Amino acid sequence: MKTALMKAIELILNGSLELNNILSVTARMSLSSSVIALLIGVPIGIWLGSCRFPGRTPLLVSFRTLMGLPPVVCGLLFYMLFSGVGPLRHLKLLFTVTGMIVAQVVLITPIVVCNMETYVSSIAHDVRETARGLGLGTAKTFLLLANECGYQIVSAYLLAFSRAIAEVGAVSMVGGAISWKTMVMTTAIMQYTNRGDFTLAVALGIILLSLSLIVNVTISLLQRRLSR
Amino acid sequence: MKKIIALLLALTMVFALCACGTKTEAPAEEPAEEVVEEAAPVEEVAEEPAAPAVDTVILKEADDKMINNYSLIAVNAEAPFVDADGNAVADVAVNTAGADALIQWLLTQDAIDMAANHGFEQYGEYLFYAKEDAPVYAGEIAAATEETKVIRLSTTTSVNDSGLLAYLLPAFESEYGYTVEIQSAGTGKAIAAAKAGNADLIFVHSKSQEEAFVEGGFGRVVDGFEAERITFLYNFYVLCGPTADPAGVKDAASVLDAFAAIAEGKYSFISRGDKSGTHTKEISLWPEDLGITAEAESFVDYTEWYVSANTGMGACLVMAEEMGAYILTDKATFLTFYANGGVIG
Repeated sequence: MKTALMKAIELILNGSLELNNILSVTARMSLSSSVIALLIGVPIGIWLGSCRFPGRTPLLVSFRTLMGLPPVVCGLLFYMLFSGVGPLRHLKLLFTVTGMIVAQVVLITPIVVCNMETYVSSIAHDVRETARGLGLGTAKTFLLLANECGYQIVSAYLLAFSRAIAEVGAVSMVGGAISWKTMVMTTAIMQYTNRGDFTLAVALGIILLSLSLIVNVTISLLQRRLSR
Repeated sequence: MKKIIALLLALTMVFALCACGTKTEAPAEEPAEEVVEEAAPVEEVAEEPAAPAVDTVILKEADDKMINNYSLIAVNAEAPFVDADGNAVADVAVNTAGADALIQWLLTQDAIDMAANHGFEQYGEYLFYAKEDAPVYAGEIAAATEETKVIRLSTTTSVNDSGLLAYLLPAFESEYGYTVEIQSAGTGKAIAAAKAGNADLIFVHSKSQEEAFVEGGFGRVVDGFEAERITFLYNFYVLCGPTADPAGVKDAASVLDAFAAIAEGKYSFISRGDKSGTHTKEISLWPEDLGITAEAESFVDYTEWYVSANTGMGACLVMAEEMGAYILTDKATFLTFYANGGVIG
């Protein structure tokens, strides 16, 4: 284990073309999918958290259920849709980074929605009281609410990002783990382990863990400030 | 503004901590010099050679029953494709021109020679041999156009993991301008991907499954060749196991006797279990009265020693190494695995 670890650190320090490509595909995939999921999830989350309307509970329950959607099931679904004989074959999204992003957005959005909903419903009442006191309209109340959620949005984003970067089941099915094209860190770790090439696998594992550490430390710091 | 600065500070701190390799509780404002000091001894250690400590060795090889033929088949764009519900799908996009070019190039004398020499320098042994009766192509090969430049090749883990394609394809890609996208899975999955219209050609090693694929109308005769299925490379399957060899496989008269001895003594055996070429081969080598097939029910009584891993060749080798089990593998993957260390050092 130690030799592999040392070799991995050396590999990270030297940097290789393949490693750089894997990192850039990973960054492209996880950044875009988490940003898109945030853009879709935050408004829905605030809406679900602040408004009461018929059908809200079933909608919320379905989002909560989708949080538990197994990535491989999501991957299988999009594999079948995008496949050469599937209904969406003309989009030509199978084995592309775009296809991976689509699958990831479907996986991550419910997490963002539920995360936002929980927070918003806890502050919605107070914000509404304040808005009524100030005599604000519906649109301005919504903006006030969104403003109050600043930190929670960052926190939800980091959650989405860490989920996106650590995901393997869906991206390996939709992306196909093609070298130089759709190979991301998690699928590369699997592939190199299969080749008995533990060095690169461990190196990627270390980077993945470091990124996860960064994300988590940032979340913790943010939440500490939030609670002040 | 303050918030952003705080965020940036936090990120820098974490980077510094990661580089030091210290725990998060350590004070954050460590001077940058210390990072460099601590990094230096790390590199020194890294230069120590790692001795391969693989205990799994080849016990039985080069038996007539162990020949492993690799074939190329171009996917027919007019094949009877069906969707998940069994409805016919007519307009499946298959890059036939690209598949033609790649197959023609792989069967030029130069490419065959290259493939046959692959790995000799690195491992001191040939990983693949050229089939003597393989058709050799000497005609024109079309260069890539905007529509045909991406070729989807579905192949087996053994071809991909042994580095054969990474070694061959750059020459083809740079000369003709194509990009070959390789998906690697067991032969069963590779053929399934082609049947779902997700590959332009397949490079696999399971005769019965290949013949079924061609009979199903999915194969296509490439210009300049006579048959859909072009067998051009071969190597050998090898039976591997722990150096101690408790089943005495090494002294068995034939590979069939060796498999019988493993089953007799109930020594752990790792099966691919994924309908790959290797799995199909392995099933054919067990004594018939055991009745082992690809179906899970067939080995339910043998689970104490027969391990159906349902994964790639490399992952199975890792498992065999960890469990001290016997395993059937193609020689190319084994040699690559062995050279890579094959064990968490």
